[in-house]
Amino acid sequence: MSLTNAPLLDTPRLILRGPEPRDAEPMIAFLLDQERAAGFGASPDRGDAWRWFALNVGHWHIHGYGYFTIEDKASGQPAGITGIWNPEGWPEPELGWVVFDGFEGRGIAYEAAERARRYAYEDLGLTTLTSNIVPGNTRSIALAERLGCWFEREYDNIHMGRDFLYRHPGPETALGRDDDGSVEAYA
Amino acid sequence: MSNYPDIPVIETRRLRLRGPEVGDYPNFKATFASYRSRFMGGPLNGYEAWMLYAAEIGHWAIRGFGMWMVHDKATDETLGMAGGWFPAKWPEREIAWIIWPDKAGRGYALEATHAVRRHFYERQGWDGAVSYIDPKNLDSIRLAERLGCTKDHDAATIDGSDAVYRHPTPDAAASGQIRDGIELEISHYCDPLFKPRGMPVD
Repeated sequence: MSLTNAPLLDTPRLILRGPEPRDAEPMIAFLLDQERAAGFGASPDRGDAWRWFALNVGHWHIHGYGYFTIEDKASGQPAGITGIWNPEGWPEPELGWVVFDGFEGRGIAYEAAERARRYAYEDLGLTTLTSNIVPGNTRSIALAERLGCWFEREYDNIHMGRDFLYRHPGPETALGRDDDGSVEAYA
Repeated sequence: MSNYPDIPVIETRRLRLRGPEVGDYPNFKATFASYRSRFMGGPLNGYEAWMLYAAEIGHWAIRGFGMWMVHDKATDETLGMAGGWFPAKWPEREIAWIIWPDKAGRGYALEATHAVRRHFYERQGWDGAVSYIDPKNLDSIRLAERLGCTKDHDAATIDGSDAVYRHPTPDAAASGQIRDGIELEISHYCDPLFKPRGMPVD
């Protein structure tokens, strides 16, 4: 049962789709994992985590975009989330990603985030993208750099506090790289 | 906004209840930035208010019910929200309401809440409902009592800081005594000639 009108996106190993009711528990489990969710914004309790699941659905309805569920084709399980995030108070639309427990170390975040970025540029028509990363989140910084991002500035995020803003390469560069196994190779 | 949850429209004598729309957000934000929202988790900053508004919409998609935006039928301006609320951690389905601070005192909450309760009971098959109210929120307690609710000392609360007011059952709510009393009070609000004095602010 779809809760949004999100499109279905495809990569070799993954499906990116809108949030569905069966994604609620894996998402809540992630948000309640204080250590794993620290860089994303962990939830203090189950009520807060459920609210995040609901507000992501609302984000899709308000903006027409939000976080996709990353579904692992092999297992059919939700493996994380990626998508475009832009609540009130955000510096600008952001490409975000999260990988759930048990799915890391396989390049899933890279494969999913790169597909979501292509969607943002090709389907949403965005002309630039950022990723906001809290200082010390070295895994996300490494992935951002692998995606071709560069550090642009430090700022004070309304929700996360001190935050690093990484800038993605624009559509021309991000979509034009077809010689390194990245986005174009999945088309 | 496409594929928006299919939200029924409810009309009452003075009000039209519609799903929360993007254009209604500024009034929601203003109320949740104000002291008025102190019993509903506020006051909230812009980020928090926006996230709550998105959750209001998501709640509709996930649960199939939620909080309606209450509009003045004549002017279409928004007056507040009323409806059902059942996020995780809520022991039971709640009937909730909030009226913008500058729209209080005209019986809008009573009229809207009476209509949504009837909708849940008669159209969605609810067999009961509660309202979780901060014990210091005297206006809302008074409204719950006018709706025929009674304090349920034994029911589970959300987090121990709230009181549980149990709504009359569908049969009791449809009975003459409760329904007629509510509708008489609403009619007094509607007709300025009989506008009651010294009534509670909601």
